[in-house]
Amino acid sequence: MSPAAVTFKRTVSSMFSLYSTAFAFAVFFAAASVSFVFGIEAAEGTRMPLAALWCSSVSPVLCVLPALAGMGVWSDEKLSGTLGMLLSSPVRERDLVVGKFLGVWLASVTGVVVFCAASLVSLAVFAPALVADVSIVSFAPAVAALLLQGMLWSAVTVAASAFFTRAAAAAAAALFISAVLPRVVWNGARVFSGFDAAEFGEMPLDAHAFDMASGTFSVGAVVFYAAFAWLSLFIASKKTALARIAGAASSASRFSARVSVFLAASLACLAASLAWRSGAVLDFRPGGADAVRFSARTYSLLGESRGGIKATLFMPRKDPHFKTAAHFMRSFTAMAGSAGGARISLRYVDPSWDVGAAGRFARLGIKPGTVVFERGGRRESVALGETFSERACASAVRKVSSSVARRKIFWTCGHGENSFDSYDAWGMSDIARDLARDGYENTPLDLSSVGQIPADAAFVIVAGARQDFSRIETGRLDAYLRQGGRLMALFPGSEIASLSSLLSQWGLRSARQAYPSAKTLTGTDVIVSEFSDGHPVTASLAGARIVLEKPLSFLPSAAAGTAAGLAQFTPLALVGNVCVAAAAERGGGAGMDVSLRPTRIIAVGDDGFVLNGQLEAKANANRDFFLNSAAYLSGTDAIAGADTGFGRLVSGLDRREMRRLAATFGAFSLAAFVFLSALAAKGSGR
Amino acid sequence: MYEVRNLAFSYRGRQVLRDVSFVVSPGEIVSVAGSNGAGKTTLLKILATVLEPDSGRIFVEGADALARPVKYRRQLGYMPENPALYGDMTVKSYLEYRAALKGEKDKRIRRRVSEAVEICQIGDMLKSRIAPLSFGMKRRVSFADAILMRPKILLLDDFLAGLDSSARESAGAWLSTVAAFSSVVVTGHEIEDFARWSTRILVLSQGEVSATVEAAGASGDEVVRRTLAALKGVNQ
Repeated sequence: MSPAAVTFKRTVSSMFSLYSTAFAFAVFFAAASVSFVFGIEAAEGTRMPLAALWCSSVSPVLCVLPALAGMGVWSDEKLSGTLGMLLSSPVRERDLVVGKFLGVWLASVTGVVVFCAASLVSLAVFAPALVADVSIVSFAPAVAALLLQGMLWSAVTVAASAFFTRAAAAAAAALFISAVLPRVVWNGARVFSGFDAAEFGEMPLDAHAFDMASGTFSVGAVVFYAAFAWLSLFIASKKTALARIAGAASSASRFSARVSVFLAASLACLAASLAWRSGAVLDFRPGGADAVRFSARTYSLLGESRGGIKATLFMPRKDPHFKTAAHFMRSFTAMAGSAGGARISLRYVDPSWDVGAAGRFARLGIKPGTVVFERGGRRESVALGETFSERACASAVRKVSSSVARRKIFWTCGHGENSFDSYDAWGMSDIARDLARDGYENTPLDLSSVGQIPADAAFVIVAGARQDFSRIETGRLDAYLRQGGRLMALFPGSEIASLSSLLSQWGLRSARQAYPSAKTLTGTDVIVSEFSDGHPVTASLAGARIVLEKPLSFLPSAAAGTAAGLAQFTPLALVGNVCVAAAAERGGGAGMDVSLRPTRIIAVGDDGFVLNGQLEAKANANRDFFLNSAAYLSGTDAIAGADTGFGRLVSGLDRREMRRLAATFGAFSLAAFVFLSALAAKGSGR
Repeated sequence: MYEVRNLAFSYRGRQVLRDVSFVVSPGEIVSVAGSNGAGKTTLLKILATVLEPDSGRIFVEGADALARPVKYRRQLGYMPENPALYGDMTVKSYLEYRAALKGEKDKRIRRRVSEAVEICQIGDMLKSRIAPLSFGMKRRVSFADAILMRPKILLLDDFLAGLDSSARESAGAWLSTVAAFSSVVVTGHEIEDFARWSTRILVLSQGEVSATVEAAGASGDEVVRRTLAALKGVNQ
């Protein structure tokens, strides 16, 4: 057995025969439990991944465990005089230091693993909803992150213990270095730098814990922990070696030791700095642990993309948002691969470092803080700002991978329709922008002046016409529908005679009055939560709600039951038995006058449900309903997943149950203390 | 051959050892006598590499020991003045730990321990925890630790302190057993006992070797008389 292994074994058996170790574990479990329970409460309803939440909660209190359990590894040797016995043994100081460090680290490893198991079991009992979708393997990155931090704190404790004869002083020093100093320095730097919190970024130790728990291991962070752990052990080794030096040679030896520690510190800083600048990242996500979750719609859009696409994250690596954006893009590219769509290769361009690539982007007018998607000569860029989203990226991918020209959506005008380029609360610019991102081109259509509706129309929208259409206009719409055209009709809560008449020929008939309900009588909104299961527009909206204002209702028209019998009426949204949104489809073979491309119509009894003002209240699935309808009409049939809470942290615990969970953790801490105390009593022969 | 040449050590401006030189042949037992504060313990700490000398060199078989300290320590057995042992361990587990730390292979550890235990006559306390043992018993365990690896050089600081009369009687036998494989340097104040076992007695005074009394071939009383005279001379 190597000397380091022998020392490790001795350190472990010595540690677990001390009451201070039992105390250390109990304090750690208690502090981590409180932090985790409060964390759950604070993160309720957010999209914070459970493993990342757990890791972020445990990380700040982790240093307590090695500091209290390992405080005596050197100081006890000094106090009892056994240090001399060790120094006269045929062992290098570094072997002794490494053995003791591994022993202290094992305590951290044990604490983290046991607490992880206890957390999962407690949550499975008291908050099964929280862990229902969580695999145990997904906690592996979080545990690995804590072990990495535990490695540094264990090394710091070993170094602190080498400086003090009293274990308590060593523990205080270790806690100061690992818990207090980094936060004081960071907050001090932030206050005096003049930057605000967002610009300055997160406290690195907390950010590392979160990033690594999400599976993103920055090489810079890993090297930082390894380098400074090594530096701490180097200092401990030098300090132990200096215990031999007491005579006239002491000042020279001490000076020499200080110089070597200074050089080692410089080396550690250099290694960490270089690794940081490399920007390399290791992805470690067993079972897709804590990857960014995307909607089914994005998944669908990416699945349809084709070819090889280069995605470039063009922003400075020191930007506080870099890590978040990089994490997002890695998940995004991974998902494109798993969706069977385009192969997206991701690279990073830092304007300060990659001057060539940055110059090329600058010539193209692309500013830093942008994600650029390129394929062949096609290029789409998405700025990292408030408008940055998975949908924006998916649309960009689709645009560069699509070989056809953009599909056009024609918005009728001249009858009092809502305007798609109006930005006020009554305009529809918001939803028009979403359509543009999905690859559509929004175009106004004046039916009175155009000869016929262009053949490249994906579909036509009549968004809340207040005035009747002329016979000529209706005829043009009818001709368009007969050629397999697609129409979305949004009614302004009342019937438009000419339009209703046209639609009745295609299988759906509008009622003359708005749908009355208790809610309509007391207010104006009708909340719709009943949808057709089988239709592509609503199949994914189970559990979601759309909000309509005084909607018109629809019924199947006589045309749906004609001899042809092929106009299929589908009620999309229902309030009780009343249909407030419907789809009609007449497919190939319906008659001589119907082309092979099926005609599709969607009618919604409210024209205001996707107005800018309505979409601001994001608590409904109106946007998804509209975009699903657009996809259905254009033939994409991409289904959006409404926000039904998927991926959200929902513990389902009330105040009382939360207290019970905290009490369980407390009982666990107490049990750990009693067990380890018994172990210590046995070990020390008391 | 174990040779100490011109060893010097100072602590906080006080010269504790100066120009200490002596040679110990294999099988020889050299005792170092001297009044309190003469530098005996410091000398042994330096020889055990627990302290570094200001100057001077140590040679083992002609090789500079301090140039390769780990190799030197492998040849060394050291029993400090105060037994520094892990109180939470049993005697057996402590000796096994020490043998492993000194680099002994796993399968030979047991043999090493039983050999040392036999010499020191501590077989009946193997399963006892160290903490409650008496000072004398701890000294025995510490001695067993020192001879565990059959060291070439055995350094025993204040060897007889804390030992009862029967143990003192046995100490001679222990030393003659270990002298078969070691060069022994032993310190203490028990001149009569030293006179019986030692081949030579070095009288240390104010950090210097002030006299050397050859004990081999001389009667015990004669050695004691000459040593006391050397000590008295020093004190005067």
